[in-house]
Formats: sequence, C-alpha cells, structure tokens
Amino acid sequence: MSDQHSAYHEVQPHRPGPVEGTATDEHRRARTMERIALVDLLDRVLAGGVVVAGEITLSIADVDMVTISLRALVTSVSALAESGADVRELAR
Amino acid sequence: MTSPAGEQDTPTRRHRIDADPESVEKGLVSLVLTVVELLRQLMERQALRRVDDGTLSDEQIERIGSTLMALESRMGELREHFGLDPEDLNLDLGPLGPLLPYD
Amino acid sequence: MTEPHGVWVYAVGDDIATGRIEHLTGVGGGAVRGISAYGLTAVAGDVPLAEFGESALRRNLEDLAWLEATARAHHHVIDALGQRASLVPMRLATVYASDDGVAAMLDERAADFRAALSRISSRQEWGVKAYAAQPPERGGLAASAPARSSGAAARPGAAYLQRRRDELSSRSQARSDLLASAETIHARLSGLAAEVRLHAPQAPQLTGVRAQMILNAAYLVDDERSGEFADAVAALAREHPAARLELTGPWPPYSFAGTPERSPPCE
Repeated sequence: MSDQHSAYHEVQPHRPGPVEGTATDEHRRARTMERIALVDLLDRVLAGGVVVAGEITLSIADVDMVTISLRALVTSVSALAESGADVRELAR
Repeated sequence: MTSPAGEQDTPTRRHRIDADPESVEKGLVSLVLTVVELLRQLMERQALRRVDDGTLSDEQIERIGSTLMALESRMGELREHFGLDPEDLNLDLGPLGPLLPYD
Repeated sequence: MTEPHGVWVYAVGDDIATGRIEHLTGVGGGAVRGISAYGLTAVAGDVPLAEFGESALRRNLEDLAWLEATARAHHHVIDALGQRASLVPMRLATVYASDDGVAAMLDERAADFRAALSRISSRQEWGVKAYAAQPPERGGLAASAPARSSGAAARPGAAYLQRRRDELSSRSQARSDLLASAETIHARLSGLAAEVRLHAPQAPQLTGVRAQMILNAAYLVDDERSGEFADAVAALAREHPAARLELTGPWPPYSFAGTPERSPPCE
C-alpha cells in the first residue's frame, strides 16, 4: 500500500455561481461524483443529514448503522490491501 | 475476508472473522509481537529516564544499552521471519487511538 | 400487479425556492418527485419495499456494493438539486410508508427545517483532512547521527541509548509540531466559515492511508467566500509542509443539517 501523493491534493471543487443546468454542468458533476471517495461519502450520508423517524427507518441505533456499514467498508479495504490493489483508487 | 463482494452469503457469514488457519496464526503472532514491542519501547524509555537521573553506573548503562540493542535487532528478525511490517505491530484501541505511537 | 412501495426522502427545501423537480434517477433506479406541505417540499422517490423495507435495509446496508450504489444515488439527487436551491439533506435510509407520512413529518419538523434552511442558505460544506506528510519512519536503527565520541565503538550499548534518546526527542518534537500545525490550520479555516464541525481522525484501516490523520473537519462557508477558502487551504499547505492537506467539496451541507442546540430526536 504505497502512500504517494503531492503536497496538496484537491478534489475538483467547482466555483459557485448561477447554475444553468446545462449539459456541461451535468457532465462535470457526474465526473466529480465518480471521484468522490467512498469513505468521505459514507461518512456524510450515514452520520450526517437530518435524522427523523421514518415509518420504515431502521429502528436500530444510529451508531449501529454507521458501525455496521463502516465495518463493511473496512473489511473491503483490508481485503483489497491483501490482494495488492491500490485501495485508495478502488475506494473512490 | 475470503469471500468476494457479490457472492451470495448467508447473512451470518458476513459477521464471522476469517477462520483461515494461516491468517489466524499470523494474527496471533502480530498480537504477541505487538505486546513485546510495546514492552520493548517502555523498557527503552525507562532506561533512558534512569540514565538521565544519573542513577546508573557506566557499566550498567553499557549493559542495559547492549541488551536493548540486541532486543531491537531480535524483534526485527522476528518480524521479518513472520513477514510482518512494522505497521502490522499495532492495535487500534478505537477512541483511545493506537496502542503504539505512530512513529 | 404493482409491488409494495415506500417513499424514500432525500432532502427538504423551501417550497418556493425548490420549484419544479427535475427528472432525475434516484435510489433504486426510481424517479424523483416533490411532496409539498406547509410551505416545504420534500424531495422524494418511490422505492420497492422488497429492497428498502426495514429487514431488507438491514441486510443491504451490510453489503458494501449495495451501500455504495445507494449512497451515490442518494447523494446525486441531493447534489444535483442543491445547485439550484438550499436543501437540508436527510440521512440515508429515511423511508415512509406513504406520502401522507412524509407530509406529517414536514408538519412536525417544520420549524427545525426552516431554521436549518436559513443557516445553510447561500453556503456550502467543504471537508478538510490533514495527514502527516511523511509516512512514519520505522526502525530504531535508522541511519542517524554518527557516534558522538571516539569511545562509542568501545561502548556500543551506551551509544545505542544515546541514539535512541536523540531519535525519540526529535520524533516527539516533530509530533508536537504537527499537532500545532493542525490547530493553526483549523483555526485559520474556522475564521473563514460560518459553522464548523470537528470530526474524529479516521483510522488507517478505514482510509487506506498509512500516515496519521491529524485533522478531520467540515466547514460551512458562504458561497462568495469559497474561492477565499480554497486559496487559504492552498496557502496553509505551503506554510505547513509537514502536513498534507486534502480539500473535498463543495458538498451539500450534510454535516450541518441538524440543529446545533438539540440532538436528533429519537421517536
């Protein structure tokens, strides 16, 4: 598992401005989305956002949900590391 | 984990620790060596404190230093023998952080 | 024959600003629509209960491939619509039996949503992580300072202890410098943000990165300060070469959706 990086790494932030909803915007958003690291995304959608009791929302504790799902991620990352894959690339 | 994603496992199987004998042994060895490494580091720090306190004779310092040097060398051999990286010798204590310092 | 469906909620926005919902593909491949009540609009979509009912959810959430696809689909809808209007994102897996349930929820939580909407309005979330730039140096016998005295060869044990002392103190210094950097970086960026959330650093097993994570924070930044914020991150990266910075964003305000004063209610 090599840890090669430049001194400063930035994931394509796009400058805010009026959104036109053009094909270019959608395309760029789609590309950006693919490059979002799974660990960053799961952190936000599992542990962030408003929590309400949906009628079918999981009744297990929020912590359990995060733990279970993150455990799945950790297991996968470990398995990939053992197989020699570049885990950061695959986690994107 | 030996089963790749997408395979149809029964739900209970996902929770089981990988029971492959080879990896279990490697896990135990890592654990044992981690504890030994922890003790080695603690002993080293203890020795340095006593040297700084001035409570040791030159002969004692030399003997302790040689012993610790040999111990570190032996630890390196053991790690290599079991195919472990230095990073493998650590325990994540969750909120308490790792057992051994990152460096 | 239609199979039983539930209603998956992505986010809640202000009725007037959200307007017409685009034709997007959401979670489970379904369409996205709006459910309006009490001046708010919930962005929602129908999902089959066979896959998104409670027991199915428990099972599927432990399947990383399913979780990833679902998380990305959830995020895609929120992100796409969030470009046009302030939206309060919902946590993943908020499902109702029917539209009526969603409307009732909007009624019950209207004040919370309005407060959240005004807090996040014209702002975006940015994530900053900082790592130690160098992976940890290993091995006590790394090539270090040469023997300090001519007597070193005669007293290798004492020389070893001296070497270890030097190494430990320089590592200790490096570590405290690194943590000081993290504090400085966080303080500077906090000054540019309306709100801040500091998260626990993530373990290497999770990130797949060996180096120690020294900062893991989310910043809610005014739209017009985004450029200034990104520039500040770049400047801080130059000023603190011992730290490697990662900037992600802009994100929908996941980390700032809850009300700061209250913990999320459990019903």
